[in-house]
Amino acid sequence: MTENNLETPAENIVNQENSTAQQRDWFELIVAATLPVSIGALALFFYLNVPVFMTLNNWISISVQVSTVMTIAIPFALLLMAGKIDLSVGSTLALCGVVAGMSFEPLGITGAIILTLVVGTSVGLINGVLVSAVGMSPIIVTLGALTLIRGIAQWLAPNPVFGFPEEFLVIGYERILGLPMLTWIMLIVISIGIIAMVLLPIGPQIIALGVNKRAAFLVGLRVKAIGISLYAVTGFFVAVAALMSISRINSAPSGTLGIGVELSVLTAVLLAGVPFAGGKGSIVRVVLGVWLLGMLSNGLILMNVPTELSLMITGLVLIVAAGLDVLRNKRS
Amino acid sequence: MRLEVKKLLKSYGSVNVLKGVDLQVEAGKVLAFLGANGAGKSTLLNCISGAQDADAGDVLVDGHSLRGASPRQVQDFGVAIIYQHFQVFEGLSVAENIFLGHEIKRGARLDRLAQNTEALIMLKRLGVENIDPNADLKTLGVGARKVVEIARALRLRPKFLILDEPTASLSDKEAKALHDVIRQAVKKDGIGVIYVTHFLDEIHKIADDITILRDGRILWTRSADTVTIANMTAAISPDALMNQVRHSCVAADSPQVLGLKQLTTGFVGPINVALKAGEVLGIYGLMGAGRTELLECLAGAVDQDAGEMLLHGEICNFHSPRDALAKGVAFVASDRKEQSLFSSLSAVDNLMIPHLGCTPMPSWYRSFSREKAGFERAARKLNIQPPNPSLHGQRFSGGNAQKIMVSRWLIEGANIKLLLLDEPTQGVDIGARHELYEALATVKNEGAALIVASSDATEICLLADKVMVLGRGQQVALIDNPQNAELLIELAHKAEHGTQPAGSDELQTNQMVQSL
Repeated sequence: MTENNLETPAENIVNQENSTAQQRDWFELIVAATLPVSIGALALFFYLNVPVFMTLNNWISISVQVSTVMTIAIPFALLLMAGKIDLSVGSTLALCGVVAGMSFEPLGITGAIILTLVVGTSVGLINGVLVSAVGMSPIIVTLGALTLIRGIAQWLAPNPVFGFPEEFLVIGYERILGLPMLTWIMLIVISIGIIAMVLLPIGPQIIALGVNKRAAFLVGLRVKAIGISLYAVTGFFVAVAALMSISRINSAPSGTLGIGVELSVLTAVLLAGVPFAGGKGSIVRVVLGVWLLGMLSNGLILMNVPTELSLMITGLVLIVAAGLDVLRNKRS
Repeated sequence: MRLEVKKLLKSYGSVNVLKGVDLQVEAGKVLAFLGANGAGKSTLLNCISGAQDADAGDVLVDGHSLRGASPRQVQDFGVAIIYQHFQVFEGLSVAENIFLGHEIKRGARLDRLAQNTEALIMLKRLGVENIDPNADLKTLGVGARKVVEIARALRLRPKFLILDEPTASLSDKEAKALHDVIRQAVKKDGIGVIYVTHFLDEIHKIADDITILRDGRILWTRSADTVTIANMTAAISPDALMNQVRHSCVAADSPQVLGLKQLTTGFVGPINVALKAGEVLGIYGLMGAGRTELLECLAGAVDQDAGEMLLHGEICNFHSPRDALAKGVAFVASDRKEQSLFSSLSAVDNLMIPHLGCTPMPSWYRSFSREKAGFERAARKLNIQPPNPSLHGQRFSGGNAQKIMVSRWLIEGANIKLLLLDEPTQGVDIGARHELYEALATVKNEGAALIVASSDATEICLLADKVMVLGRGQQVALIDNPQNAELLIELAHKAEHGTQPAGSDELQTNQMVQSL
C-alpha cells in the first residue's frame, strides 16, 4: 500500500531533480570557465596595449618566470586539498639552494643534486611527522619552520654562494626542442600532479582526507602516511625548484632566495579555487591560477606599471576571485 | 492560542518525506509526537523551527504564518525548539548559558549578579533547587544540562516549546525530574509542548494527547488516556516492514564468526558474546550507554583495553580501521556528515574509496570501468537514486547517501565477514529503509555476521537474532530472538539507573510475544 503511494510522486520529483541538476551543471560550467576566460581577456588587454606581449618568446619567458612557483604550487595544492599547509616552502627553497651551491665543489654536480633533494625531502618529512604523526597544527609547525630554516640557511652561508659549474648552469638556459629546460621540468611536474589526482588512487584519497579526516580514518585510509608523504613530496619538489632557481640566477643568496614564495604559491592556489580548508580542487585550475599571476606580473612590467600599482592589482585579483567563490558556494 | 501545521509537504530530491501533515497543539497542553526513524519527525520539526522551508502547506501560530521565516523570526513568534543534541557550552556558567545571546546588562557591562539571581528565580519556578547558577556547566550531569536548555528556551517567553527526544540520554530519575520541570512550565506559563520521544513508557506520565506520524502522514491523534502502549507500538512500526523482513533461522551448526571474551574498552565492558555466520546481533542502550564505543573498538578505531576478540577463531587486536578491514571487519558509522560521507567526492569515488589501491581493485592505478560497473551494480541492488556515478556525495538524500555508505562493503570482492552498523537508519526515509534492510538480509544470507546498534528498540527487534542491552557500558542482558521492544527499553532504563535486572535466562521466559 505504502509502496504505491510512493511511486508516482517520486518519479515526478526525479525529473525535477534532473532539471535543477542541469541548471547547476550550467552554473558550474560558467564558474569553471571564469579562470580561462579571464586569462584570455587579460591576454587580449595586454596585447592591445603592448603588442609584444603576444609573442611566442614572451610566453616562453613567462613560462620560465613561473616555473619555480609552479613546481612548488602543484604539491602545495595537493597538501592544501588534503587539509594541510606548508608555509615553510620559501625558506626550504633558500636552504636547498645554499646546500646545492656549497656542495658542488666537494660532491660534484650529481652528488650536489642528490644531497639537495635529500635535504628538501627531509625537511618535508620532519614537517609531516610533526603535523600528521604528532598531531601539531600545520600552520604553527610550518610557520615555525619558515623562520627556523631561514636561520639555518643564513647560518650555513652568511654571504651569497655563487660561481656554479657550467654543466649545472645549463639547466637554466639550455633549450630542448625549442623550449627551455625549466619549462620542460615544470611541464613534467604538472603532468605528475594531474596523473596523481586524476588517474591514481591517491587522488580521491587526498580529497577524502581534506573533506573529513575522521571519516577517512574510519573508512580505512592511511591517514598519517598520506599526510607525511604529501609533506615529503612537497619538500622534494621545493628542492627541485631550488635547483631550477639557482641555475637561472647563478647564485644562492641565503637572505633573499625564495623570500615570499610561500605567499605567491598560496595566492595562486587559492586563486585556483582550492579552499583554504581543503577538500576539493583541480590541478588544471592550479596551473591556470599560477599562469594568471605570472602573466599579470609580466604584462604589467611590459606596460611599465609601477611596482606598487602592480602589487595592488595582484592583491585585488585574489580578493575578487575569492568573492566569486563565495558567490558560487551560496548558489549551490 | 494554538500552533497549527496545515497540509505540509516536503521532499528531498526524489524522496517525499512529508506528504501533507496536519497537526494542532493547544496552549497549556503536551502533545506527544511519535514516529519511527524515517517517518519524517526531524523534517517536520525543522520545517516548524525555520531551519528548513517546506515545499507547500503552512505553519501558523495564532493565525500568523511562519512559512519562510528564519529560525530567529520563528523564535520571535514564540516557538522555541530544544534539539536532542546538547547545545550548551562548557566553560560558561549555568546563568551564562541561560542568558547567552540575551544577556542582562547594566549600561554596556554584563550584569553577572543580576543574571545569577534571575537564573535562580527561573530554576526555582521550574521546581529545580539543586542547580547553582554560578557553577560551570561542565560540572553538571546530562539531566541538569537539559534543564538548563529548557530554562534558556523559556527565558524568551515562548508560547510553544518543542522538545526533540529530551530524555534520550537521561536516566529514569533524571527523566522524571525533567517531566516535573516541563509540567511546571506548562502549568505556570500556559505554554504548549510538542514532545518527541522514542520511549513509549514515559508518554502517559507527560502527555495529554498523542500523535503518530507514519511514512510522512499523521496516522492518528488521540487523547493519551484512551491509548495503550501496545496501540502505540502497533501504530508506529510500519507493518509493511514487519512482514518483509523475517528472521531467517540460523543453522545451529553454522560456524562461529565472532567471539568476544571479557572484552573491555574505555568505560565499556566486559563484553561476552558469540556470533555465528548469518546472525545479526542488535546492540541496544540509551544515549551514552556505550553502543558506539563498542562498535568503534570492534572496528579498530579505538584500542581494546582487555579481553579477547576472536574472529573465525583467530585472536584479533586491531589498531586502526585499516587493520580491521584487512581481516574483513567493516564499519558504517552513525552521522554520515561527520563520519562517513565525503561531500565533494563523486558517488562512485565515495563508494570505492576504501577499495582504491586495495584487493578487489587494481593496486596502483584506477580502473574507471570496473569502478563504474561496481557503482551500477550497487545502484541496481539498493536502488540508489539518482543512479548517477558522478554526482557529488552532498547531493544525495540521507537515505540514498546511506545506501552508498552500506554498499561500500557489499561490492564484489570486498569479502566482509563482520559488518558493523551504527544507527544505520538515522535520517533515512522509509522507502530507503526498506531497501537497506533487504541489502542487510542479503549480507547475512551470504554468511557474514552483522552487528547493528540502534536507539530504536523496534528496529532492533525487527533486525536482530539476538540483542545485547548496554547500560553505562555494562552488558546487562543478552536476549535471543527479541520481540518485545518495551522490554529492551525497560532494561536499558534500569541499567542506567544502576539496578541489575535478573539473569538473562529468566528474561527469555518472561518475554511476552506481542502480536503485531
